[in-house]
Amino acid sequence: MNQDSPVAALEMKEVGKRFPGTIAVDAVDFEVYAGEVHALVGENGAGKSTLMKMLAGSFNDYTGEILINGEAVELHTPSMAMKHGVGMIYQELSLANPISIAENIVAGHLPRRGVLVDRAALAAEAKRLMSIVGLDLDPDLPIEEISQHEAQLVEVAKVLGTSPSILVMDEPTSALSRDEVERLFAIIDSLRKRGLAIVYISHHLPEVFRIADRVTVMRDGRRVATRDVASLTREEIVQMMVGRSVKEFYSRAERTIGAVRYRVKDLSRWGFFHHVDLEAHVGEILGVCGLSGAGRSELARVLVGLDAADEGTMELDGKVLNGSGMAYYLARGIAYLTEDRKSEGLALRLSMEDNILSSIVPRLRRGLRYDKRLGRTTVQDLVKGLSIYPTDPTVTMANFSGGNQQKVLLAKWLAGGPRVLILDEPTRGVDIGAKVIIHEAVEKLAGAGNTVILISSDLPELVGLADRVLIMRQGRFVREMSYEQCTEESLLLAANGEESA
Amino acid sequence: MATAETKPIDVPDARYLRSNRLSRIVNVAGIYGIAVLFIVAGAILQSLGVINNFMTTRNFLNIIDAVALLGIVAAGMAFVTYSGHYADLSVPTTMALTGIVTVELLHYGFVPAVLAGLAVGLLIGAVNAVVVGRFRANPIIWTLAMSYVTMGVIRLVWVNRQIYPDVQTDNIRTIALFDGIFRLRLFNVISLPVLLMILMMLAGHFVLTHTVYGAQLKLTGSARRTATFSGVNAERVIGIAFLIAAFAAAVGGLIITSLSRVGAWYNGTGYEFRAVTAVVIGGVTLAGGRGTIIGVIGGAFVIGLMNNIMTLIGIGTFSQDMIRGAIFILVVGINAKSLRSLGRDDA
Ligand SMILES: Nc1ncnc2c1ncn2[C@@H]1O[C@H](COP(=O)(O)OP(=O)(O)OP(=O)(O)O)[C@@H](O)[C@H]1O
Ligand SMILES: [Mg+2]
Repeated sequence: MNQDSPVAALEMKEVGKRFPGTIAVDAVDFEVYAGEVHALVGENGAGKSTLMKMLAGSFNDYTGEILINGEAVELHTPSMAMKHGVGMIYQELSLANPISIAENIVAGHLPRRGVLVDRAALAAEAKRLMSIVGLDLDPDLPIEEISQHEAQLVEVAKVLGTSPSILVMDEPTSALSRDEVERLFAIIDSLRKRGLAIVYISHHLPEVFRIADRVTVMRDGRRVATRDVASLTREEIVQMMVGRSVKEFYSRAERTIGAVRYRVKDLSRWGFFHHVDLEAHVGEILGVCGLSGAGRSELARVLVGLDAADEGTMELDGKVLNGSGMAYYLARGIAYLTEDRKSEGLALRLSMEDNILSSIVPRLRRGLRYDKRLGRTTVQDLVKGLSIYPTDPTVTMANFSGGNQQKVLLAKWLAGGPRVLILDEPTRGVDIGAKVIIHEAVEKLAGAGNTVILISSDLPELVGLADRVLIMRQGRFVREMSYEQCTEESLLLAANGEESA
Repeated sequence: MATAETKPIDVPDARYLRSNRLSRIVNVAGIYGIAVLFIVAGAILQSLGVINNFMTTRNFLNIIDAVALLGIVAAGMAFVTYSGHYADLSVPTTMALTGIVTVELLHYGFVPAVLAGLAVGLLIGAVNAVVVGRFRANPIIWTLAMSYVTMGVIRLVWVNRQIYPDVQTDNIRTIALFDGIFRLRLFNVISLPVLLMILMMLAGHFVLTHTVYGAQLKLTGSARRTATFSGVNAERVIGIAFLIAAFAAAVGGLIITSLSRVGAWYNGTGYEFRAVTAVVIGGVTLAGGRGTIIGVIGGAFVIGLMNNIMTLIGIGTFSQDMIRGAIFILVVGINAKSLRSLGRDDA
């Protein structure tokens, strides 16, 4: 860290931002020095993203003062922010879908030859930036054809293209695999050495200890403290974040595991996964572990009828599932919580209520009439049970913090009382407290005699929740572990194909 | 240097909670308010002597009939816009072909001819439904292509012939019935088109807000992928929207053909744009998933009044088109901007 330089690269003085009904950021002081990685942590809805969006020029009505390299600036539009060297990687991906990787990366500053876009220069510039983040893809591929974690790296490359001096990353690793996280950390390290001031938002405290120099903790829109990371323990940070201590260990609830509920035999979808056999039981939480690209989500999509299998059979309670389309599976109580909450999970422009009820629309009917009042108590119970905030069901989904969006997504699938619930990264972007709440909800669902298939990259989550874990590698199940055998190390080794004895 | 401007927004919680519903009502009421403003403006222009014959019963009946025709077409079009597919540009030729086929077949009797006309309209809708809903063709390009194809069929089969009801059949009753589509009046006031418009408005409103289909359309229009991932058959939902639009256009085609007493390729010209304009100024956003049918009918009223006043002033057709175009752009622009400032525009 370069604290001998007297002026901070970024200084925010008593900044505030309110939305109708909420003070999202309340008189916060925040400074970051060049050559520093500064972690920003806090519970869901603490105001982290809002504070950083202020810096990125998203609001023209913030209060307080922002200084960049000691000079007061007004950051009322994204272009002003960019001009002052602020680069932002948003929590929610902001890549435009049908256009190519190259055009996305170089979007803001397309190289021109006369009035035409210089195609060759475009490709070269995109290649250069992609190599910084270690992406080896054809720059002409449209974004919709690459995976989410690749898209995340494209986003990083895109921001680096604007040569920022202050770089903000809002939960950049939530969609990345371990390898990719390591690569990102290497990138962050080199950027730090080049003297960038970096703000790093994460709910994953091990990452904070691994990469950050200092940490600022926020709670309810205010700053609680700023400290050197080295001077703190994990427990101290959590304590500051939530204002109390949180039980973070998993206490495995005893469950009785019954008969086979969902049986899959010799299932294949060419190119994605092959000859998969699986038996998930009543009352069981079945974990699925694997690296990104192992075919886990592709399998899940077939299991719920979103894609058709090329071969194999699926049975629910002994009856063959021979219908097609997700509605058929949903009507039989098979549900899927997607890993991509923004584009597949939620309708951000609709209200929270509309989102929660979206999975049970056909049931909210009185005669011919659709009546969403029939779902009102369901919504209320879920909001309460998962402590979703804000609690008003008519608030537009886009106005929720990332973690609360994730809770709404779970609520949407719990609303229908699924008999088989397939969860794909269910705690992505949620804070420690919310994670516990989600885990309890999942255990309760299983405890009530339903089946949960839990796909997760969060190893402690698998170790703590699953009764059994299947390890998937390159489209095949290569191993099964009972929960007694499961540890983070054993899972990691197995997923990487380095069998432990 | 000055610090960022302080603008505390002191909205109490309770008001925020209701702001959603309130703003919806204001939006819908607003378009009717604008319609009233147009009437006031017309009255003022008349008292200044700029236009004549605006404030007459006859003129108002004219306006209402024109609004009814546009309103019916726009109410159907609204479903396509609401589904996130902007517009159905095959509406004008659907109107024309429905009219032509109906007149052509009048000698089989009124009811069979009308049913055949509507069926042809629905057929065009069905093709749009499959191609746009299932094969995900760009709706603008495809429906434009569809309208050229339809026009080609009309030109091929009927060359440039205009066909007249009284040539197609000798049956006076059938002719009278066909003429009556536009001219029949209940109690000498409410015409059949107005009645149909009211019916379409109520039915459309009911479908959009009180049926499972409406809820699925809202989800699909707001976020198609999410709809698919929620078990909604988005292809079907979008397809039905195109069928509704085609049906409405076919009904509009019957009315306009009855009005002009001739089946001809040019019946319906310009209605695609007028209808979309009514739809967007009526509050259905091009991004999809937002708006009401009642607002759309309000939009049709505004367009109808505006057309009437412009015609009375003596503004030419081309200038009228330009003015409508400018208003369209303005409304779409304002809409996008206000959504963005609310931080809600992810379209
Ligand atoms: N556009 C908006 N309109 C209204 N309220 C908003 C808006 N954006 C955020 N909020 C509210 O402001 C508060 C802070 O949200 P913010 O997104 O900054 O939280 P966060 O700390 O990033 O949380 P997370 O860890 O869940 O991403 C929340 O209560 C949220 O509901
Ligand atoms: Mg956030």
